[in-house]
Amino acid sequence: MPNIKYSSHEREKSVILVGIVVAVLGFVISLLSLGMASTINGRLVVVLLGLGVSLLGIIGLINRAYLKNPIWKR
Amino acid sequence: MKQSLQLAGVLLALTAGAFGQTPAPGAGAGQPAAAAAKPITDVDLKSVDTPKPEVRAKGDPDGSLTGTAADVAIADAKKGLTIADLVNQAGQNKIAINFVWTLVTGYLVMFMQLGFALLETGLARAKNANHTMMMNIGVYGIGMLAYWMIGFSLQMGGVGAVANLGGTPPLSAEYAFTLFGKPFGIFGQNGFFLMHNGTNDVAVMVLFLFQMVFMDTAATIPTGAAIERWKFSAFAISSFVFAAFIYPLFANWAWGGGWLSNLGTNFGLGKGYVDFAGSGVVHAVGGLSALAIAMVLGPRIGKFTRQGKPQAILAHDLVLVITGCLILAFGWFGFNPGSTLGASTSGNLRIGAIAVNTMLASAGGMMSAMFYMWVAYGKPDASMTGNGFLAGLVAITAPCAFVNPVGAVIIGLIAGVLVCVAVAFFERVMKIDDPVGAVSVHGVCGIWGVISVGLLADGKSNFGSAWNGVNGSVTGLFYGDAGQLVAQLIGVSTLIGAVFSASLVLYLVVDLFVGQRTSAKSEMEGLDLPEMGALAYPEFDLTSRGAEV
Repeated sequence: MPNIKYSSHEREKSVILVGIVVAVLGFVISLLSLGMASTINGRLVVVLLGLGVSLLGIIGLINRAYLKNPIWKR
Repeated sequence: MKQSLQLAGVLLALTAGAFGQTPAPGAGAGQPAAAAAKPITDVDLKSVDTPKPEVRAKGDPDGSLTGTAADVAIADAKKGLTIADLVNQAGQNKIAINFVWTLVTGYLVMFMQLGFALLETGLARAKNANHTMMMNIGVYGIGMLAYWMIGFSLQMGGVGAVANLGGTPPLSAEYAFTLFGKPFGIFGQNGFFLMHNGTNDVAVMVLFLFQMVFMDTAATIPTGAAIERWKFSAFAISSFVFAAFIYPLFANWAWGGGWLSNLGTNFGLGKGYVDFAGSGVVHAVGGLSALAIAMVLGPRIGKFTRQGKPQAILAHDLVLVITGCLILAFGWFGFNPGSTLGASTSGNLRIGAIAVNTMLASAGGMMSAMFYMWVAYGKPDASMTGNGFLAGLVAITAPCAFVNPVGAVIIGLIAGVLVCVAVAFFERVMKIDDPVGAVSVHGVCGIWGVISVGLLADGKSNFGSAWNGVNGSVTGLFYGDAGQLVAQLIGVSTLIGAVFSASLVLYLVVDLFVGQRTSAKSEMEGLDLPEMGALAYPEFDLTSRGAEV
């Protein structure tokens, strides 16, 4: 059992790290809009995509990982 | 007296010339009186009357003898008063006005630390009051020294000339790399310890004081989300790094001549990222950092049932909470109007409009939050009314200089509802325990403030006819410039993707080495004794100590 708990904890840590990478990736996508698109509308779409990716990383991955084993369930 | 009036006329004319303002239409040519005016020379100044010492010695009850030609600084006593002396005096008066304005408004922003301290402490339980107050005073000193050593240099070390303060020429080294064929400023390099490369300079000192209290406002926001469970040693280390690196880097990108401020000049996106007084730079940075520490710490014991249902943990003193909110609103009159960095020179007379926009938005936020809670939950909740009040202030901080009064009220009204919805979302959906609503007030409404510039800036402001090096006034989507909205959204993406992530990494690293959270035993007992060694309210010891809630 202790081993299982430990590996579960490690998996949550990994998901958090992946979530951070995804959140940063969203920022990079927004930044790339400056080089990838030349029109205002094109840049707007790419920036919104980047924002969506960052939010996915924070809400979908990082927060979800923290909710796997929260203090109120221990 | 006639000569004194003549002198006043000369001063006014010289002042207008020194400030580079164009003459009003109709002045000059075609006006016989002006054409016939005899130029005043140094010789004319010799005959200007000044009060005799024996007259001055009798006192000046009506103020007519104080502040005359005798008070103009003379460069050469042998030559006496010259026009050059008058010109220099006019220039110094402009800078003096701006110094005093910036310093006094900076003092008001410093006073906001008290507002935050009372607000957070009031929302905490009595058993954590000392610990919460200590975090609020601790972050002031810790953050200030970190900013003095490192942060100010990274933020403003390459800002270049701040004309309102006389130029700040030593702040001239910005590190930049090239991306997409354009320079991307990343951090400043002058000003470490306020001694490096000539930065022991009067104008730099004024700028430092004003920027430091802004940084400290941001640094104190995470403490609100972390009260009642943040280990003091971890708080101290985290706050130092936040003040030295995380806040200054984003502030450089937006205010210090960095890449976000140059999105207009380099990529044709409006006037670049525009954030007048810091909805993004101060509040969203602080609010997103608050989200990161709240995630790392986890919720307080008893905040959620075993089924994950949120439980109310009551504030111990709502009087402190509302007092804190009102003190913050008072300080905001320094925060927003002070961000002109001066009261003299074109555009700076917007300070009145900025102050009015600020108070209107706070009223909008307060009203909409109060009625939202009243309708949704049956009572006009005090703490959420206070949060709505602050939400309006946070949201108007970026657009205050660029929107009209109707826009300011709209921004405030939306912020008031937004903060109520966001508090429920973070608590019920994300299961984030944020005791003061810092993430919702500062993070969410800070982001709303940044976006609102891109929507509601009306193109009527005028700060030297350009902003961030782009000619014209800041104009949002609803007034014809979609590019401004894109620039604002790139700023928001940077806040969410880069600033939040950097904060989370910081808190995780500190957690790894020091541990961010206090023990469960300390938390149950209250942090005042285990962490601080003294209770805030010792006479309550028998009734509150060790209490569950």
